[in-house]
This record gives sequence, C-alpha cells and structure tokens, in this order.
Amino acid sequence: MREALFNLTWLIPLFPLLAFALIILWTHPSRKWSTWVAWIGIGLAWLLGWTMFFLSWGDIHHLTPPEGNHPVPLWALPTGGSVLKIGFQIDTLTALMLFMVPFVCLMIFVYSKGYMGYGTEHPDPRYSRFFAYISLFACGMLGLVVSDNLLTLFIFWEIMGLCSYLLIGFWYDKSYPDPNRITPRQAGLKAFLTTRVGDVIMLIGLLLLYSQVGSLSFKDVFSQETLHMLAEQELWMPIFGTAPVATVIAILIFGGAVGKSAQFPLHVWLPDAMEGPTPVSALIHAATMVSAGVYLVARCFPLFMAVPLDHGGVQLAVVAFIGAFTALAASTIALAQNDVKRVLAYSTISQLGYMIAALGIGAYVAAVFHLITHAFFKALLFLGSGSVIHGVEHGHHKIAHGHHDHEEGHFDPNDMMNMGGLMNKMPRTAWTFIIGGGALAGIVPLAGFWSKDEILAHAWHEFQHTQHFGTFWPLFVWLLLTVAAALTAFYTARQICLTFLGEPRTEAARHAHESPPSMTWPLMILAFFAVILGLFGTPWANQYHELVGEAFAATPFDPFVAGLSTVLAVGGAVCGWLVYGRAPLRAGQVDPLKRWLGPVHGVLENKYYVDELYRLIVIRPVLRLAELCAKFDYDWVINRLVNTIGQLSIRTAERLGGLDLAVVDGTVNLVGRAARGLSTLSNTVDLKGVDGAVNGIGHVVKAGGRQMRTLQSGWVQDYLLLAVTMAIILLGFMLLVLPILR
Amino acid sequence: MLIASQILGLIAPQWILLVAAMLVLALDLTLGEEREGWLPYIALLGLGAALVASLSLWNRQVALFEGLFLIDRFAVFFQIIAVLATGLVILASIGYFEGKTPYKGQFYALLLVTALAITLLASAADLVMVFISIEVLSVTSYTLTGYLIADRKSTEAGLKFFLYGAAASAIMLYGMTLLYGATGSTNLAEIGRTLSLASGEGSRWLPIAAIVMLLVGFGFKVSAAPFHQWAPDVYEGAPTPFAAFLSVGSKAAGFAILLRVFLTALPDFRVDWFALVTTLSIATMTLGNLIAIFQENIKRMLAYSSIAQAGYILIGLACWDPQATGRESISAILFYLLAYLFTNLGAFTVVIAVERAVGTNEISDYAGLIRRNPWLAAALFVFFLSLVGIPPTGVFVGKLLIFAAAVRLEYYALVIVALINGVISLYYYYGVLRRVFFLAPRDEAPIAVSTPLRVVLAVTLIMTLGTAIFAQPFIRLALTSAVL
Repeated sequence: MREALFNLTWLIPLFPLLAFALIILWTHPSRKWSTWVAWIGIGLAWLLGWTMFFLSWGDIHHLTPPEGNHPVPLWALPTGGSVLKIGFQIDTLTALMLFMVPFVCLMIFVYSKGYMGYGTEHPDPRYSRFFAYISLFACGMLGLVVSDNLLTLFIFWEIMGLCSYLLIGFWYDKSYPDPNRITPRQAGLKAFLTTRVGDVIMLIGLLLLYSQVGSLSFKDVFSQETLHMLAEQELWMPIFGTAPVATVIAILIFGGAVGKSAQFPLHVWLPDAMEGPTPVSALIHAATMVSAGVYLVARCFPLFMAVPLDHGGVQLAVVAFIGAFTALAASTIALAQNDVKRVLAYSTISQLGYMIAALGIGAYVAAVFHLITHAFFKALLFLGSGSVIHGVEHGHHKIAHGHHDHEEGHFDPNDMMNMGGLMNKMPRTAWTFIIGGGALAGIVPLAGFWSKDEILAHAWHEFQHTQHFGTFWPLFVWLLLTVAAALTAFYTARQICLTFLGEPRTEAARHAHESPPSMTWPLMILAFFAVILGLFGTPWANQYHELVGEAFAATPFDPFVAGLSTVLAVGGAVCGWLVYGRAPLRAGQVDPLKRWLGPVHGVLENKYYVDELYRLIVIRPVLRLAELCAKFDYDWVINRLVNTIGQLSIRTAERLGGLDLAVVDGTVNLVGRAARGLSTLSNTVDLKGVDGAVNGIGHVVKAGGRQMRTLQSGWVQDYLLLAVTMAIILLGFMLLVLPILR
Repeated sequence: MLIASQILGLIAPQWILLVAAMLVLALDLTLGEEREGWLPYIALLGLGAALVASLSLWNRQVALFEGLFLIDRFAVFFQIIAVLATGLVILASIGYFEGKTPYKGQFYALLLVTALAITLLASAADLVMVFISIEVLSVTSYTLTGYLIADRKSTEAGLKFFLYGAAASAIMLYGMTLLYGATGSTNLAEIGRTLSLASGEGSRWLPIAAIVMLLVGFGFKVSAAPFHQWAPDVYEGAPTPFAAFLSVGSKAAGFAILLRVFLTALPDFRVDWFALVTTLSIATMTLGNLIAIFQENIKRMLAYSSIAQAGYILIGLACWDPQATGRESISAILFYLLAYLFTNLGAFTVVIAVERAVGTNEISDYAGLIRRNPWLAAALFVFFLSLVGIPPTGVFVGKLLIFAAAVRLEYYALVIVALINGVISLYYYYGVLRRVFFLAPRDEAPIAVSTPLRVVLAVTLIMTLGTAIFAQPFIRLALTSAVL
C-alpha cells in the first residue's frame, strides 16, 4: 500500500502542470473555470503531498537512509551511447517539504481569487493567466522537491525562474510617474537576469560534478565512495590555487542558492520583485521559491560536509559568512523602509540568511526547521500585507469616486505612511498579521521563536564545544544573528504600529474595509500554523530532528541563549512600540528613526547603495560595450564593407544590363503562338449529363461541410490551438491508446 | 575523396539557382523601370541552366558533406519538380504585379531561393539539413505570401503563415531532438540503423512521440488536416501565382521530406506511423472536400481542393510496405505529384487570367466564362476533370497507381473512402463549371490572356493530358526515381 503510494510521487508536480495546460489552452476565457482548475490541481497535489508526509512521519525509519531514499525511477531514456535516468524520490527532507509547499501554495491559490478581483466589477484583465502561471510555478517547486537528481532539480529550478519572471512582470503595462521607480517589467527582467548569474555558476558546478562522477542522481553523487573521491581529488584554478574538488563544486552550487535565495551579493532582485501581485510575493518571494536555495544546500549537505575546514574545505565557512552577513545587513535595511512589502522583502532576505548561516555552521535540522516555520509565517505576513493594500486601495477608490482630482496619480497604497489605524477597519487581517509578526520576531511560544532559537543555540554550542569549524565562525555567526534578531523584532513592531495602530493618516486608510472571506480565511489558517508549528520543534521533543536529523546530534537546550534571544525579541518589540506605538505617527510626521540615525538612515533607506554600485560597475560598462559593438557593426561593417560591395555589384550589373534579350523574347513568342494553335483543338464539351448525379450527393454532404467550416475562424490563435490540441490527442493516441489496442 | 570541382559539379543545380537569384536581385536594383520586364526571363534562364545541371546528375548516387547532403534519383526528381513549378509560376506571374506593387524583381529572386530550398530539402539526409532547408523554404514563403505590402489581405496572410509555421516548426524541431535523443545521431540512415537494431526493446515511445511531432511539421508543409488551417487564408491572401506555387512546389517538397525521413529513418516504425498516416489521410481528404463545397472564393476552394489532394497522396505513404509495395507506392506518389503539378498550376493559371481581367476571385464571376473566353473555359474544364480524377488526365493515372498500391495491400476501406471523396469533390468542381458553361455572364466583354499565360496554359494542358495518354514514360520515370 505504502509502496504503491510512494510510486505515485511523480503525480504531485503533474497535477499543477495539467492545470496550467488546461487553463492556457482551454479554460482561459472563463475566470470561474480557470480558478477551479487551478484549485483542483494544487488541491490534489496537496492531498497527495500530505498523505506522503503523514505516512512517512508515522514510520520514519522506513524512509531514513540507507534504504530510505525511496526512488521512483520514471524514465530511462536511451540516448545513443548512454542511458539518462530520470526519476523521483521521497526521503524525509522531501516529505517535510511536501508538508509545507503544497499547503502554502493552496492557501495562496485560494487567497488569489479575492486578490485578483474575482466577482468584482474590476477583475484583473489577465486573471486566468495569473492562475495558469502560479500553477506552473507550483509544478516547478513540487517537481524540485521530489527530484531524485540534480538535473531535473535544475530544470524545475529554471521553470520557477521563468515563472518568477512572468509573475513579477505580470502587470507589465504598469508605469509610474516617478521615472526612478522600478516598473514591474523592469523588476521581472532584473530578477531574471540577477538569478541567472547564480544559475550559471550553479550549472558550471553541476557540469563539473557530472564530469567527475558521471551522474547527477543523489544516490550516486552522495554515496560515501563518491564523496570520498571528490574530497581527495584536487583541482587547480587560476588565482585561487588548488582546492579539493568537493569544495569547488559545493561553492559553485551554493552560487545557485545565493541567486535564488537572494543572498548577498545577489539579493538585489528580491525587493524589486515586490512589484508583482502580492500573492506572488507571498508564494514565490517568501514561502517557496526563495527557500529552494536553502533546500538545495540542505539537499547537497553531504557534499558540503565532505571536506573539513582543516583540509582546505572552506565551503561551509563561505556559506556561514554569507548567510550571517546577509541576515544582519538585510535586517538593518528593513528598519528604514516605508513600503509595507519591502519591509517584508528585506525581512525575508534576512531570514533566509538565518537558514543559510545555520547550514554553514552545521545546524542542518535547525535550518530545515526554520525553513518550514518561516514559510508559514512569512506567507501569512505577505498575504496580510496584501490584504492591507487591497483594503487601502479600495478605500482610495471609494474616495476617488467622490472627487476625481483628489490625490490621483501619486497615491501609493503600499506606503505605510499612508496607513495607520487599520486595526478597527480590518480586525482579522490585523490580528493574523500580529501573530505572524510575533512569530517573525521570535516571541515565545510562536513558531519563529523555536526555530530561530535552535539556530542560535547551535551556533553557541558549536562555539563552546567543538573545534570542528574553527572557533571564530560560530561565534561570529551567533553574534550577527543575535543582533539581527533584535533588529527583526524592532522593525516588525514598527511595521505593525505604523500599519494598524494610531489614527488613519490618509482618507484612503479611513475608508479601508476588511477583505473578502476568500482572503481572510487563508490568513487565519496560516496564523494557526504560525502558532503551533514551533511546538513540534521544542528542544525537549524535537519532531523535526527525529524526522530529518537522524544523522546529526541534537542541539541541547541552552538557557542562556534562549533567555537572551527572548529578552532581545521582547526588548526589540517594546522599543518598536515605544517609538511608534505609544505615540502613533500623525499624518505628515517624520519618522523619528530618521532624526536619530541621521545620515545612516539615508544609507539604509538606499539599501547601502548596492544597486547604484552595480549600475556603476556592471550595467554601465556592459551598455558601453554594447554601444561600441553596435558602432563597429554599423559604421565599419555596414557603412564601409557592405556599401562598397553593393556599389561594386551595381556597377557590374550596369554593364551586364546591356545584354540583348531579343533571343529570349523570340523564343517565348513562338511557344505562345504554338500554344494558341493547340488550344483551338480542345473545344466545347457537353456537361449536362453530370448535373443530376452530382446534385443528389450534394445535399447530403453540404450539412457536414457547413459544420466544419465554423472552425475556420480566421484567427491564427484558434488554428494553432486546434493544431496543438490535435497533436496532443495524436500523441496520446499513439502512446497510450494504441499500445492497449495492440 | 571528391575534389572541390567535382563537389561543385554535384551541387551545380543549387549554386546555379543561388547565383541566378543573386543576379536577379542585383539587376533589379540596376536595370531601371523600362527594362524590368527582363527579370523573369533571366530567372527562367537560371532555371533552365539548373534543369540541365539536374538532369546531368541523373543516375548519380553520392553523399556529400559528411552525409548531410545526398544526391540520388529521388533528389533529382524533386529538383526537376522544383524547377518546373518555379518556371511555370514565374511565367504565370509576368504582368501580374502590374499596379499591385512597385517591387517586382524581388519576387523572382525570392522564388528562385524557394526553388533552391526545395532542391536542398530533396537532398537532405540529416535532420539538421532537413530543418534548415525547411526553414529556408518557409521563410521565403512567408515573405512571398506577404509580398503585396499595400494589400492588407496579403500581409495578414503572410503574418498568419509565419505564426503558424513558426509553431509547427517548433514542434517538429522538438520531435527531431527526441529522435536525436533516442539514437544519438542526426543522420537519417544512421537513425534508421540504430532504431532497427534497438527495435523490440522496450522504449519505443520516444521515437513514436518524435514521429507525431515530425508529422506536425511535415503535415503543415503538405497542408494535411488537422494542420491545414493556414492554407485557405494564405492562398486567398497570397499573390495568386505564389498561391499556385505553394499548392504544388511547397507541397511536393513536404512530401519529399516526409518520404525521405519516414522511409529512411523510421521504416521500422511503420506499424506505428501507418495508423497515424491513415488517420491523417482520411481526415485530410474528407475535410478538404467537404469544406471546399462552401467556398465562394475560387482561391479558397482550390486551397481546400489542394488539402484534399494531399489526403489522397498520403494514402500512398500509408500503403508503403517494404515487402509488398515498397517502390510501387513511392513511385505512385511521385507520379501523382508530377501530374498534380501540371493540373493544379493550370487551374491556378486560369484563375490568374480571370483575376487580371475581372479583378476578383469570386466564383460567381466565372459565370459565362465560355462566352468571354472559350479557351479558358475549356482549359479549366480539363484541369478540373483531372483534379476529380476522370480519364484521360494525369491525376486520374496518379490516383489509379495509388489505389493499386492500396488494393495490393488489401486496404479496401481506404480506397472506398477515397472514391466517395472523389464523388464529393465532383460537386464543387462542377459548381464552378456549371457557372462557366451554363450561366449568363454579368459582363460580356471578352477576357484577354497575355502571352506568357498562354504558354503556361498550353504547357500545363498538354502535360495534364500527356501524362495520362502517354503515361508509360512518366510512370517509368517515377519508378526509377523511387529509390530511397
């Protein structure tokens, strides 16, 4: 029974893929059907995913290595000389991801119905397309977690990259009066190109791995012999000198994670990705896609562990440093942001940094734990912020109806300075948001506290007890993450105060109202999980450890760390309340933080000028180079070379033009006259006999022909749809029906 | 090893066509208005030279360029078809563009490149070559379809053609990659060998999926249902001479490559593609004939008629059996294509003549054609007779040969469906002829036919009847060409 069920793993990503195809090809004219198709697709994936998860939870030993990785070989493609095996697998990490991904996706799918304006007067003009894209995205993420090899993982990884691009730029026709503000179109491109840098690095890593091992399946790559071999072999590189192959590959693969999980220095795309619809921000840029990078590192953890630091294995140190640095830097930026979604975006970068740093110090279980809890509470926060934006926007529409010239054009529904006092207007949103914020800040006993605490405790423990990673790294990581924890609590409190407390600072906020149930229900469900999920991971009975951490020693409970992080979280939150909550900002009042921090605030507000730096050192030189190339092409090649050849040929042709063609003319005329003579031979033929016979058949077939003619609409889209549909039917017939008929 | 001059000799038809195209293009820029009329004749000269070069290659059997390019009688046969179709179409288009577009010379140059693409396609022995030559053929076809840029119908047709073709090509290319993935080679013969060695083992689905996808691309080229929908719109919008070319030249090229790929690379999958080709064949002829009944525009009607003809020809492929009918069915297809070339070009030439006099392509304008120009009426009668498949005409013999192959394999059902379809097609061809012969014309003015058009009409008429009355040499030609 269980075996048979696990063999169905491949169905999980297939359901959303089918939903995508159905919507794109057929149901897109109907918003209702498209919604349902998408819901059913993800719903089935969720049901199957949870079944798998609870089955494996019930009997963990069944799935833990060595017999654990339950592989489902699906295809063995003979490719001339070799055979490419593609399959799926379930192990405990995958099972845990199957708990999180499809459920969070489902919540966001449900939420999207309301957010995209189903049933209202102004539904989004590309409503169905939105559901198609997020279905494809869900396919990508689910496919990624069930892949049993790095190749399909990379393919699904890229599918998500594509969806991310499509969805960030979903409102591609939107533009802002402020020319410096990034438009959705630009943001999509930026995300695509930035993550591409990481993806190329990762691909190089995969190619290197394949060239060394000859396989990319987890089972082959992460076997003890292979890892040993990779650790022993050395690779010489220019500049860097020699290093173990395993280290090089691990760092290259980590490059992919840096891009996808928005770690420094490739984090710049994520804040701008907030230009996409809010469910997308929640789905892709908070809960699932960005955590794929963390998942990748967790999945390849054996490779990262293959070489210890004292043998030249710097890979984990790199991971820890980048993660911790990102966590702290992003949380400082979040302090100075006014856009409700951008605060969350930087908070996401920061929390992902936590997970990456945790992996870097070997806190595998803690990282996975935080990955799960974060996905739930961050999805909650994003959806909550979407609900707030939705409400404020509607408030704005309501008053804009009254007096048309009022505020139109420069009102930003995302700006927290335009909010305030929404607690009474949107109670459900507010309460769930506060729960999510508490979880993010690490308030006992909400989910975030336990997972964050475990990371910190692990770092402290490593510092005190082992020399494995060198004494400095764990302390460094611990220090940075602890400071980041305090800052997190502070900016979360700031956000909640600015949004929900005090008096409304604009007319729009005054007229805001609660979102429809299809939006608030997912919030409440997610809030429930944000409360309870941490309780499964307490240091005394850590289910997560039992599930995925068999190979690792449990992190002991450390009262000092727990106490300190609680004090910092509560302290940070109280500070935030003291600044923003006790005396709420009034309309037009300047953020007190701006006064206190002075010029530093400007630096934070501008995100340490990283974007500007990139523009200076990357974008501008590339544009210059492109201009130079174009100049070369146009001025030198076209103007000089081509024109010279052209004139030369014209001159030659003029000479040839004098050729007399009388010969040709004569011949042709002759043939013509012959033909005229010949056609006189075949004269009139009587046709009356045919008449009657034909009319008889005609009436019968006319009816059929008339029906078929309606297919010929004149729209090439329709033709292509029919052609593709027929091709699919033929494929299905040939591959599925015909073998049975035989 | 072949030396460079030998290679140059072997690809002479190709480079002659290329040089001719370049020459026409250059002369178009330099000759000036008053001598523009020479261009088609220069193009014809180039075609004549290419024809001579082609004929000199008869009986050669050489693979060039690492097996990318194959010269055999099959390839030469299609070189001849390409040259004939292009030559007749060029003749038929002389004067056609008068007052329609200021650009005339480029049409001939592009048409020569199209002919070149067909000769390349006929010689393609490697998937890469197949794809590239199909694309060359397609891209020039899109351009020529949208040639009348001032005419919205023409540009619309060009764009539709392009979009449809691009999608079909993409699917076909996917099929090619699957085939490559399954065998590790792009060479057709090599693929055939690998697949026949591996046949019997489990994974047949990959080549089967590839077959379906390839059929999308080839089906698009031969306008087989359900990948035919571009055809009526494109035929209607394209300059009529080029629509004529599409219906014969482009279609023949599609069949050439269909035969080459399926019979060289995939003969071991005959059991699988047989079902597919049969289905497409029945669907194509039935659909084409039924919808043709309702057309009011003669070019659309001929488009559907040409779809239906593709259905008949597909029977020939369905009836290919390496043991029983191997060469016979191929030669039947080749003969059919040759006879159909003359017949359909002839029919289109009548359409061009009427269009130039009347200005439209409505079937109602054919009323009383016999009184306005009896020769045109008579010619149209013969061509339609041939299209229906009534003796003594070329397509009749072609059908006979194809049905013979089907009967040999005892596929009676296919023959019966085709015969019923023949009867259905009588209806719409007769619908036109009825107007031509029995209805009173709206306008009594006689229709003048230009000299080049008369030449085309004469040649096509003679050949339509000749391929039937003196069928033997043509059948022998088709049989000797049927080497794959």
